[in-house]
Amino acid sequence: MPRDNEQTGEFTPKILAFCCNWCTYAGADLAGLNRMNYPADVKVLRVPCSGRVNPQYVLKALQSGCDGVLVCGCHPGDCHYSTGNYYAKRRMMIFKRMVEFAGLSPERFQIRWISGSEAGKFRDTVVEVSEQIRALGPMENDAPSRAAIDAVAGTVASPEADEELFAAAKEAI
Amino acid sequence: MADVQDIIRERAAALLSSGEVSAVIGWGVGRFDDVRFPLVVKRAEDAGKLVFDASCVQMTAKRLLEHTGDGKVALVARGCESRAVNRFIADHQLTRDQVYVIGVPCPGMVDPATGETLKRCAECQVRNPVVHDELVGDPVPEPKPYRFAEVDRVEAMSREERRAFFDEMYGKCIRCYACRNACPCCTCRECFVEQDKVGWQGKAFNVNEARYYGMIRAFHTGDRCIECGECERACPMGLPLMVIMHQQVRDIDKLFGPYEGGGLTDSGPDPLRTYKTDDIEEFM
Amino acid sequence: MLLKKAKAGALLDAIAAKERLFVPADDRGTSRFVAYGAGVEPRFDLLNTKLPPKDLLFPATETLYRWSRDGADLAIDSAFAETDPFTVFGLRPCDMASVDRLDAVFLTKGYVDEFYQAKREAATFVAATCAHPGRACFCDSIAASPHEAPTADVLLEDAGEEWVVTPQTEKGASAVEAWKPYLEEGDAEPIKAACDLKVDMAAVPEKLKGMFDDPIWSDIGDQCLTCGTCTFVCPTCYCFNIDQDVREDEGKRFRCWDSCMFTDYTAMAGGHNPRASKESRVRQRFMHKLTYFNDRYDMNLCVGCGRCMRDCPAAVDISLIIDRIAASEPAQEKEAMAHA
Repeated sequence: MPRDNEQTGEFTPKILAFCCNWCTYAGADLAGLNRMNYPADVKVLRVPCSGRVNPQYVLKALQSGCDGVLVCGCHPGDCHYSTGNYYAKRRMMIFKRMVEFAGLSPERFQIRWISGSEAGKFRDTVVEVSEQIRALGPMENDAPSRAAIDAVAGTVASPEADEELFAAAKEAI
Repeated sequence: MADVQDIIRERAAALLSSGEVSAVIGWGVGRFDDVRFPLVVKRAEDAGKLVFDASCVQMTAKRLLEHTGDGKVALVARGCESRAVNRFIADHQLTRDQVYVIGVPCPGMVDPATGETLKRCAECQVRNPVVHDELVGDPVPEPKPYRFAEVDRVEAMSREERRAFFDEMYGKCIRCYACRNACPCCTCRECFVEQDKVGWQGKAFNVNEARYYGMIRAFHTGDRCIECGECERACPMGLPLMVIMHQQVRDIDKLFGPYEGGGLTDSGPDPLRTYKTDDIEEFM
Repeated sequence: MLLKKAKAGALLDAIAAKERLFVPADDRGTSRFVAYGAGVEPRFDLLNTKLPPKDLLFPATETLYRWSRDGADLAIDSAFAETDPFTVFGLRPCDMASVDRLDAVFLTKGYVDEFYQAKREAATFVAATCAHPGRACFCDSIAASPHEAPTADVLLEDAGEEWVVTPQTEKGASAVEAWKPYLEEGDAEPIKAACDLKVDMAAVPEKLKGMFDDPIWSDIGDQCLTCGTCTFVCPTCYCFNIDQDVREDEGKRFRCWDSCMFTDYTAMAGGHNPRASKESRVRQRFMHKLTYFNDRYDMNLCVGCGRCMRDCPAAVDISLIIDRIAASEPAQEKEAMAHA
């Protein structure tokens, strides 16, 4: 999916940021009020709580044209719903490790706690993540090289998968 | 194991004739001597069809959920099946009084095609049933073999190689959903795959769709997995589905442990359905 | 004419130089029909392949048409394209018989599926007989025979070290013309094997008509997981779904394999699902395979290849089901519910 800037020809990442309404979204608002500058690469999706973020959205976003996903919420202990972000923390820790185990570049999925007063942190996070994703390139760049594919080829499925057929073949010879 | 088989048959016949249970779930023999299949016996006179030996490769517990409407159901349960029973109870799919567990300590099954110990049995952590109403046969040793060798192998790969590994795996997936249907954690009345109006899962057969299905199912079950390995055993394509499950179990143990897998008791909460305020912090 | 097995490679190279060629081979642990090329080792010693060759004529996912919108302008383009000729070399008689079933479905009874037809007309089928049928093979009591494949373009009869080559159609004759440099004169005695496993289909389609409420379906339902393994490894299953992929102003509509075993196969708008129970779905599968298809096309849909028996995670065995149906007593006169 072409995501190059029409004027500069430079790759412009699409980063989806799930921001909790009470903290991060307020922080983002404050950054705007304070006229802070940050790249327009991040699209904010407001959710009531980081605990509402279904990991299915994260994977769907990455497979549907997003180059990176951010999940941001209140600092643990400050959740507007008291406990939502505690659940989000555990959930996202395991999910992040799982998708990285399966080969996702770690910078593409990040979680940060940004409070309503941390306008600067919101700006810094967006700047940092945009830079990281620009450096990585579009999500398509995560695809493995021919060398990696060959290194792994044939080592995946258990050889017994077709055992009966091959065993019969051995008998037949 | 021949004695165990005889006792199972006797007990099944007795439980059925007395009316204490309406069905007994175990294994029967298929057309060929080495083929076993999950068998639900509903009449005492059919109890002789039940077998128990080293070829009983299927983990049968899922069928409990289809028969409890007619009264209590008995299940011939090894370690894996017993953990599945706990899983069902913890997930509110069953109550303890709906199942009569005929516990059978298990030395491990053998794959008839290769003559080798079944992979899931070679990794088995719980051979003696963790819940039972009666125990048939003597307890067996619990060697608790190291089950993370494949996880180590994949973790040692570069990011690209890991991506290639999973691309190859998901590229071979035919989306038959045998893994989901066999899994005791997968009991949603409407699976995310079937939520057509929401549109999580497309219907095209390609590696991206297979990856979405595989990874989301793995995550949905990750903190509840009983490590029975039935998903991997059922998979017609021989996909190493347990790698991503063992990886999650180990991470949960490292981060929120001690944790040895799901289904060891029948009560929750499972690790991702709870929290501690001092859980490790890495997202500041 | 004979083709020495040891020299088949040279012939395959020659065919592949002119058109796409598909041979049975191991694809990273799974046997299937793969495009012949450098590094591909054809495996003519295998029984049938784990995955059947039906995807060469009826792909698992196939785009039907595409659209794109630019303001008020809408462009719709058919994705149909003619298919370049290709050869399928070494398919077994059961799989050749499966092509006959797919032909019946996609080419006859008044509607021709152009996507299927294009591939079918482009294909040259070279069938190889089976010298050692497997234990789960029962083609010769239901649809075919290990030692013949009458509808193949070319027949290769296994005679041990070589095949006896016989063109059976015009297409086959012109193909074999080009093979001459790789063939030898001579005779050999083809191995005429038979399947060990036999079923008795004679009365089964008729008996099934009275078995709609038979307890057999509940018994199979107890065993079956209703996954899609059998339907996807089956060479004759042809059910498909139609879905679309929409991205803002462009999209495509495609068809993809579906399975009558899936819970939502008969899910309808409004929420009704006439086959919500496992029992009803397994009944549908075996009724279709063993009687409904016969009503429409006068042949058994199951070709006895044995794949479902080998790969079913719950060891459901269609040959045992046929045995049980064949042995059943005709039901008392009771109203069988209407079925197609």
